[in-house]
Amino acid sequence: MAPILPTLFEPNSEAAGTNRQAMHRMVEDLQLQIATAAKGGSDKSRDRHVSRGKLLPRQRVERLLDPATSFLEFSQLAANGMYDDASPGAGIITGLGRVSGTECVIVCNDATVKGGTYFPMTVKKHLRAQQIALDNGLPCIYLVDSGGAFLPLQDEVFPDKEHFGRIFFNQARMSALGIPQIAAVLGSCTAGGAYVPAMSDESVIVKEQGTIFLGGPPLVKAATGEDVTDEELGGADVHARTSGVVDHYALDDTHALAIVRDIVATLNRSKQLPDGMREAEPPKYDPAEIYAITPPDSRTPYDVKEIIARIVDGSRFHEFKALYGETLVCGFAHIEGFPVGIIANNGILFSESALKGAHFIELCDQRRTPIVFLQNISGFMVGREYEAGGIAKDGAKLVTAVSCASVPKFTVIIGGSFGAGNYGMCGRAYEPRLLFMWPNARISVMGGEQAASVLATVKGGFEDADAEERFKAPIRSRYEVEGHPYHSTARLWDDGVIDPIDTRQVLALGISAAYNRPFVQGRFGVFRM
Amino acid sequence: MTTVLVANRGEVACRILSTVRKMGLRGVAVFSDADIDAPFVRLADAAMRIGPPAAAESYLDIEAVIGAAKELGADLIHPGYGFLSEDAGFAQACEQAGLIFVGPSAEVLRLMGNKDEAKRVAESAGVPVLAGYAGRDQGDDAFVRAAMEIGFPLIVKPVAGGGGKGMAVVNSADALPYSLQGARRVAQAAFADDRLMIEKFLLDPKHVEVQVLADGYGNVVHLGERDCSAQRRHQKILEETPAVSIDGETRTTLTDSAVALARVVGYRNAGTCEFLVSDGTVAFMEMNARLQVEHPVTELVTGLDLVEMQLRIATNETLPLTQEQVSFNGHAIEVRLYAEDPSQDFLPQAGTIHHLRFPDGVRVDSGIEEGSRITTHYDPMIAKLIVHAASRVEALEKLSAALDDVEVLGIATNATFLSGFIAIEELARGTVTTSTVDTLPALVVPAAYADEVLCLAAAAEANHLADVQSIDPWGNAGAWRLGGRAPIEVIVRPVGAETEELSIMVSGQGPYRVGTTTIARVEGCHSWTLDDESASVARGVGRWYVWWNKCAYEVLIGHQTRTLDASTASHLMAPMPGQVLAIRVEAKERVSKGQELVVVEAMKMEHSIKAPFDGVVKAVLCAVGESVSKGKVLVDLETD
Repeated sequence: MAPILPTLFEPNSEAAGTNRQAMHRMVEDLQLQIATAAKGGSDKSRDRHVSRGKLLPRQRVERLLDPATSFLEFSQLAANGMYDDASPGAGIITGLGRVSGTECVIVCNDATVKGGTYFPMTVKKHLRAQQIALDNGLPCIYLVDSGGAFLPLQDEVFPDKEHFGRIFFNQARMSALGIPQIAAVLGSCTAGGAYVPAMSDESVIVKEQGTIFLGGPPLVKAATGEDVTDEELGGADVHARTSGVVDHYALDDTHALAIVRDIVATLNRSKQLPDGMREAEPPKYDPAEIYAITPPDSRTPYDVKEIIARIVDGSRFHEFKALYGETLVCGFAHIEGFPVGIIANNGILFSESALKGAHFIELCDQRRTPIVFLQNISGFMVGREYEAGGIAKDGAKLVTAVSCASVPKFTVIIGGSFGAGNYGMCGRAYEPRLLFMWPNARISVMGGEQAASVLATVKGGFEDADAEERFKAPIRSRYEVEGHPYHSTARLWDDGVIDPIDTRQVLALGISAAYNRPFVQGRFGVFRM
Repeated sequence: MTTVLVANRGEVACRILSTVRKMGLRGVAVFSDADIDAPFVRLADAAMRIGPPAAAESYLDIEAVIGAAKELGADLIHPGYGFLSEDAGFAQACEQAGLIFVGPSAEVLRLMGNKDEAKRVAESAGVPVLAGYAGRDQGDDAFVRAAMEIGFPLIVKPVAGGGGKGMAVVNSADALPYSLQGARRVAQAAFADDRLMIEKFLLDPKHVEVQVLADGYGNVVHLGERDCSAQRRHQKILEETPAVSIDGETRTTLTDSAVALARVVGYRNAGTCEFLVSDGTVAFMEMNARLQVEHPVTELVTGLDLVEMQLRIATNETLPLTQEQVSFNGHAIEVRLYAEDPSQDFLPQAGTIHHLRFPDGVRVDSGIEEGSRITTHYDPMIAKLIVHAASRVEALEKLSAALDDVEVLGIATNATFLSGFIAIEELARGTVTTSTVDTLPALVVPAAYADEVLCLAAAAEANHLADVQSIDPWGNAGAWRLGGRAPIEVIVRPVGAETEELSIMVSGQGPYRVGTTTIARVEGCHSWTLDDESASVARGVGRWYVWWNKCAYEVLIGHQTRTLDASTASHLMAPMPGQVLAIRVEAKERVSKGQELVVVEAMKMEHSIKAPFDGVVKAVLCAVGESVSKGKVLVDLETD
């Protein structure tokens, strides 16, 4: 067995105290933001929803899940600070959970938020959940209660490739791949939304509550002059008895969710766990100490192995090339019993670190071992010596390896994510199965200070230092806002901002889900030598 | 080394094996498939399967038992009570196989097995008996003629067998043939002998019996009497010694009669003479030529081990004591804990014992344990609790405390009934007769489901779920959510109000707070506390059993299973295109489920449109002769 990582952490040091306090504040604020978003619509709108005998969306998700099991929610702060905060959580709940013993992706509209209509971020969040389902081969369960596209923003949700229509394209393609698509119509399912149940493999509708129609009564009236009620037009009786658009008739939400659970129980899926599984073991060191280890400013150096020791099983780490390219820590470990390769930044990337990383990714790929990236990177080394040394081609090797690895990748941004470092460490563009951020993380093309300096240098000719500072200050503050994880997560550049303590569990669930689809071995591109 | 085979099961097998062990002998057992995991099998030095669960193919199969005895190297066979214990054929078979049968000779068994003959012998020995008929003519007419002479009420009972099986009280000549018919059937099934007898039935008698011991050398002693008047369906539920309601003279009559009878028949073994006592009348009923279920009360007041006595007598030892040497100390009471439902006329229950707790400090004779199944194949007795104290009052107090400590979950029992029964005035006064139990008002009022009980069940379920889900990272951390843990929702439904679904949110691992109550799990799999008062829980299929505050509760878990059938459709439609032939109802008419509403002719077939549920016709939407398309709504129905 791999050796247990040593620790030099001193819980009573001044730095530990400062770090701990800072992280506590950030996590507290994060939880406050999440709790606010999780409420969904206004009290009034929630009361109205409940008074119709409907369960609130979160209750629906809870009753769908296997009791006493985990739920990994995605993008809880989607659309945070956007649309005048009219769409908390983007009006949709998505996540990964276990239903009737099977890992599933759940997509649940929140009708208390603008009638569950789709804002641009709602579409993005829905599509992202489907992407996760596709990547991991996970059945999709849609709990539908939505009025369709948010009309005032129709040009941002309807026409483009990654817009509303993509939802149904995904459903068809996933169904074709044998990834089950299941819908429960718990409320409106209007216009384009009607295709969610219609495109599903199996669907449920709730009596006198769920409706499905391409055009609602007002549209029908306008088009043909026909007077018709919602229920007559597309209620449960119509679709379960006459049209055949749905397959199961439920008496209420709870009944519908029970039927969905029963459907999942019939899926007859299998999952192949790796031979390298081990008995899960908690880390030897308390994960709560991550608070005190992580400096709030990503520019402050610290040993990332202290973090690894608080994430992996038994704090055991089989380190690879410990003495070479030390700014990139690579090694094998287990998380909740699953074998993983870990790649973590311990400073700026040099040629050696990039080569080591590329080598290690090839190892993981050969050994069919998922890779976890712990990203805290200000970038690749710059300067004449390094350019001449070919750091660009060495960086390219790392980027090639990251891009072409055929095993599942998981990225957690635990500090800075700047420039090409983001690429080499499996940023969003490199399709990690999941990407989460810590609340202390920052993400931008370069650091705010560097950006201000670069722009100031380019502009030049300042009268004095004060003038230069007046020029730089707004750039810095803009980078601070745009590089903040809340800004990132609102726009779905990640799958969520998490309390660092949750990192181990988030990774474990993601890795567990990844085994629902075989890792198909691919080829690597040309490595520039 | 002498080997004793116990040709029995359960509690009595355990009882016998413990004495066998105490005496330094080897004890072996036989078992049916139903008892493969039973405690008595493990208690035995060796054990052998003798057949399937049905008693007739196992414990009553003489050949199988004898075969096993030989295989297991037995020298003696102790038959316990019930099964083959009074089977003369078995005693004979033992003898022929060279095995010692622990009991009287086959001849005596045959005599005592024939109740009528036993009665005549008793009469000849000067024992008072009841008028009756058990003639060779077993025709109904003969019984009716005899009944006229004896007078009513009278009791019908099988000539063979005992234990109240096949017995029936008859109040009039009209009812006699019917009772005879039923009794014959039971007698044939239970004892393979359908001969019956009738006897004068004493109203409200007390059942008092005398324990005797007789060796093979003419020595007979009695070990006092037992009052076993507390019975339901002719089966005893409480026995005590001494009997408090008889005077010295009656006692002497009883004990003298018992000793005289034992002597006259040349009895050898422990045995019991049963009498009815009513208003100074004493009547011999029968002699049970075996160990009795209630023997422990006699053991506690005399200090003797009756099984040991039986084994010594069987191996030709002489009685170790004379009548004068028999001493009686204090008062002993036994109650029988049964798997039966007092609220359903003591209907025997079958099921699994999920949780079992017996009181400390009293004698408990039992053959089951947690996880045991009570099946319909055998007697549903769970245990006997036997208390001994200086006085009757103290014994009753001790028994009351002991019953409070009994906990059985998973199956209905008479525990709460027994607690109530020992508190009734008749028992305190000593006036319980064989009919007292039947005339009692309901002693067991179903306990109301306090919120605490429902919450305890919910907490137990949540803890259980957290345990069983721990098969992968999804279950290892419970209801993990980003940034915390979600409460676990448990839907509970009290038995008796199954349609009431209550949602209880359980947060964390406990202790839990519900209002002002604290619910906490204690070390050990079934133990919880409610405000520091102990409570026990056990999980059954889709339910939790809770024992709290001396009551057993059953709480169903989860939503009711809802199935959908046509009954939810209020719009009754034409099943095919056709013509309306007839309309049987009008608007506003009340209809019941299954009632024909409309007849539609289609494809030369008449289709009847029936009400899918009880309701009221909201509107009739078709007319006779109308051609209707498929799916056309014919009747709109609504529920009340």
